[in-house]
Parts: sequence; structure tokens; C-alpha cells
Amino acid sequence: MNDFLQRLGFWTCHFNILAVGAVLTSAFVVQFGAGELPCPLCIVQRMGMLLAILGTAAILLAARKGNVTPSEYATGYGMSILGAIVGGAGSLRQIALHVCDSGPGAGYGSPIMGYHLYTWALVVFTVVVAVSGFNLFSCRWLDPHRIQFGLFSKLTVWFVALLLAANMVAVFVEAGFHAFLPDNPTSYRLLDDLGLGASSGSDEANSILSAP
Amino acid sequence: MVDTFLFALMLGSLGCFWKGRRTLGQCLFLVALVGVALLLKHHMTDPLQISL
Repeated sequence: MNDFLQRLGFWTCHFNILAVGAVLTSAFVVQFGAGELPCPLCIVQRMGMLLAILGTAAILLAARKGNVTPSEYATGYGMSILGAIVGGAGSLRQIALHVCDSGPGAGYGSPIMGYHLYTWALVVFTVVVAVSGFNLFSCRWLDPHRIQFGLFSKLTVWFVALLLAANMVAVFVEAGFHAFLPDNPTSYRLLDDLGLGASSGSDEANSILSAP
Repeated sequence: MVDTFLFALMLGSLGCFWKGRRTLGQCLFLVALVGVALLLKHHMTDPLQISL
């Protein structure tokens, strides 16, 4: 039974990474498929999700020696909770910004299954905190022993690295050499600065914070 | 550039965990975490414009 629970703890780490990774991948689909540029708060939420899965990735990487100590297990899930708290704060801020919007164009971006992406992000962060808390609570039984860091585990960690690199490149193209992203981005600033993109007006003029 | 730098820090943290340098990985993670929190604070400087 103990052996089963310890393997379960190991595979839960994979599941956490793949579930949050799927959400981040769908954010890319919305960005490039639907052409909706992420705002600064969207990027903060992506960072929160990546920080959260960085914790579970650290557990997977610690498992390469075959065992994970309770300390390594607790550190990984502690990192996940910290990342989820910061990302959740970004989600709450964005929900608060649009809480009084009404009508068909309410909120930032298009709703998916009735909720905007930042609302879904808050749901994701809440689930991450709950799952991490449960794993910490069950650390005594779930911390992985006698497990094999195989090809699937390696691919899962590479998936995290790929997501980090893709987000880094995407945000660099969106922000260019400017320090911060505009409140309501309307174009990829690096392409605009290089004369390769079609700018659609001043970003500051469309500031979401100054919108009625 | 700030956002790009924060993603690079996270990538560096993952690289440290991969190389087995856990303490350095945790330090980079903490720096990235504080950086994201400060970035959020930067975007929260304007007051909420909510009128009921």
C-alpha cells in the first residue's frame, strides 16, 4: 500500500505540471489563434502558473536519484503555493478591474465557457493551492521512494522548460526593448520598433485603467 | 524587458534544479517570485476606477 501511495505522489507531480501546462498552452492558442494580446496582468498570471509548476518540477528533478526526501517534497509544494498566491493576486486584481463591466463587450478578451481567462486563472490557482496543501498534509505517505525518473518524467520537465522559453520569447516580442508592457497592448512592439508590424494606435491612449 | 528577465530567472532556476544545485535554484526562484510580486505592485499603482 505504501509503495502504491509513494508512486501516486510521484505521478501526481506529473499530473500537476501537465494540467497547468495545458492551461498555459491554451493561453497561447488564444494569443496566436484568436489574436488577443495578453495584458500585463495576464503575463503576471502566466508567471504565477509557471512558478507553481516550477515547484513540482523541482520534486521531479529531485526524484532522479530514486527517492525524494520529505524536505524536498515539502519545498516543491511550498514553492507551488507561493507561486499560486502571487498569480492569484494578479487574477483578483484583474477581476476587480472589470467587476462593474456590463454588456456584450464586458471584461478583457473573450469569455471561454462563460468566464474570462483571468477568472479561470483564479480557479486554477485555487486548485493548485488546494492540491499542494493536500500533498503537504499527506507528505508522510506520498513522498516518492523507489521510483524511476524515466523518459516520461524527462519529457515533462522539458515541457516546463519549453513553456518558460516560449513565454520569454513571446513577451519579449510583445514588449520589445521597453521596460514594461502597456496597460492595453494592441500590437507587438518589437515588430513595430523594427518596422515589421502594423501599429494600431497609441497603447497609452487605449489604457484599460483609464477606460470608463 | 522586465517580464523577459523574470522568465529568464525562472528558466535559470529550473536549470539549477536540473544540475542538482538546489540552493541556487531556490534562490533564483525566490528572486523571481519577489520580482513578479513587485511587477504586480507596479501595475497596481493606479487606483481602481470602479463606480457603482
